[in-house]
Amino acid sequence: MNSKVTTPAGQECLQGLMRTWFEFERQLGRVPVIQRLERGRFTLEDHRRLLLHLRQQVVEGARWITRGASSFDRRYTDVRSMVIDHAREEHRDYEMLEADYVAAGGERQALIEGERNAGSEALHAFMMYRASQPNPVDLIGAMWIIEGLGQKMAGDWARRVEAATGDDGCTRFMRYHGENDDAHLDKLYALLDRVCRDAADCRAILRTARVVARLYVLQLEEVDHD
Amino acid sequence: MSVYITSTGHHLPGEPVDNARIEEVLGRVHGKPSRLKRRILKSNGIRQRHYAIDAEHRTTIGNDAMAARAGEDCLAQGYLAKLRIEMLSVATSQGDLVLPGFGSMVQAELGLSDVELNTSHGICSSSMMALKAAYTGVKAGEHGNALVIASELASRLFKASRYEAAGAEVDFDAEFLRWMLSDGAGALLLEKRPRELCFRIDWIRGISHADAFPVCMSVGRPAAGEGHASWQDYPTYAEAEAAGALLIRQDVRLLDHLVKLGVDGLLRLIDEGRVAVDKVDHLLCHYSSHYFRGKIFDMLTQAGAAIPEQKWYTNLYSRGNTGCASLFIMLDEFRRTQRYAEGDTLLCFVPESGRFNNVYMHLTVVKESS
Repeated sequence: MNSKVTTPAGQECLQGLMRTWFEFERQLGRVPVIQRLERGRFTLEDHRRLLLHLRQQVVEGARWITRGASSFDRRYTDVRSMVIDHAREEHRDYEMLEADYVAAGGERQALIEGERNAGSEALHAFMMYRASQPNPVDLIGAMWIIEGLGQKMAGDWARRVEAATGDDGCTRFMRYHGENDDAHLDKLYALLDRVCRDAADCRAILRTARVVARLYVLQLEEVDHD
Repeated sequence: MSVYITSTGHHLPGEPVDNARIEEVLGRVHGKPSRLKRRILKSNGIRQRHYAIDAEHRTTIGNDAMAARAGEDCLAQGYLAKLRIEMLSVATSQGDLVLPGFGSMVQAELGLSDVELNTSHGICSSSMMALKAAYTGVKAGEHGNALVIASELASRLFKASRYEAAGAEVDFDAEFLRWMLSDGAGALLLEKRPRELCFRIDWIRGISHADAFPVCMSVGRPAAGEGHASWQDYPTYAEAEAAGALLIRQDVRLLDHLVKLGVDGLLRLIDEGRVAVDKVDHLLCHYSSHYFRGKIFDMLTQAGAAIPEQKWYTNLYSRGNTGCASLFIMLDEFRRTQRYAEGDTLLCFVPESGRFNNVYMHLTVVKESS
């Protein structure tokens, strides 16, 4: 295995992103619904509730990605292309989540009527705000957390949900994000070399990663607050 | 004030046992050969180890006596008379007795008088916790020296009869460690002054993550659904054993966290300026299995913080995974058999899966001025 990121600034940033991710995983380990999942105390009702809450943020996901794409000016056309590709790939993934919710015994109407919880609200607002800034290279920090989470869902959560609920028909959304992971991560590494050029870029990327991680945890904490 | 590791010692009981002979010693559960053994051994890469029990399951040497032998071996190679030892700091995962503390038993076995005593409790990292207590004690000027010993006698847990008492089939999590752990003891002598070519302790740093992760390795924990939180909650110990609550278990699905946390800790130390990877001359990492070596290496490479493989030293494959004693046994063999020079730096790392405690130590080779 070789180092995927080659520039010194990119490498320093990657080390910071890895640490942010590990810290995020520890924060996840303290969230009640995730603790139930990891300790074999997770029910089908928990799964429905989790999907219901996630959906309200996932359904907005494509908006900040496409908004972000439009914020990159002519100096970043290559980056813009990559972001557009990413948006095209994922902008309807919430449909899979909705099908999982129904398969788990949920009512579609509840999904459609559902509102963003306090964490989803904050996360969504933050993402739209950052994506609206000129040349928002720090969004790569957000992508790092969200892509990483996709991988975790696919590799770990889906298996645990299936084991806990005895049902494998309601984890397609979680599993989907594992399928193209390597390709996505390779793109992310290339992007990091491209956009992280100095200490200021690095700081901005790490800050956004940290904020997104914290707000994502808040979103999951709120799952038990309704 | 600097603190130096001026001598080391070890004790590995009996003759080495190769992979083909493990089941002769530990026994076949319900008379049947294990179906997992080959797979787990292939993954951990261990070729031989030592056991303090024989094929009749008689204990050939107690855990306390093994610890004492390692301590004697360490003192025999040093310059300090036994009478002058001021502090004894001892670690094990499981002593011969539930109570009193293991340190008391080892002190008696060694015949050390009037020492300040410390026993640290835990799994692999307990040796590093014992070492840190001794290191800070000497560094603070409380003591002029300290003997630190880590000893493990895990094989008593692996007798076929233990599994048979717990019921019909052995599940993977309960069998996994049977092919991983073995017995042995290691010892280090700490002094305020260097002796010949020795190791200065630059720092020892532990980072524990028990609040964020479930239990990964345990003894005494009933399976989920048993209705008890501890082996001690059963009306009789016999019932606890029959329910499998006394088996040593590893939740292997959680082990990936250990790799990530290990790398996370190293990146943290790099960020704090305590470690510069290109300045590390020797890496002594207590990975429990060859499999994890690859995973740690890959993740460090990914982060651009790799330590070249030729700098990694281990004796895992020939001495076995002796839990908390591993790092001391490794450092002892390194000291006696490897080439190192004044100014060389050693990074030692002990990750513990119990509930995720990682301890790092940085050493510099120094030479006593003549």
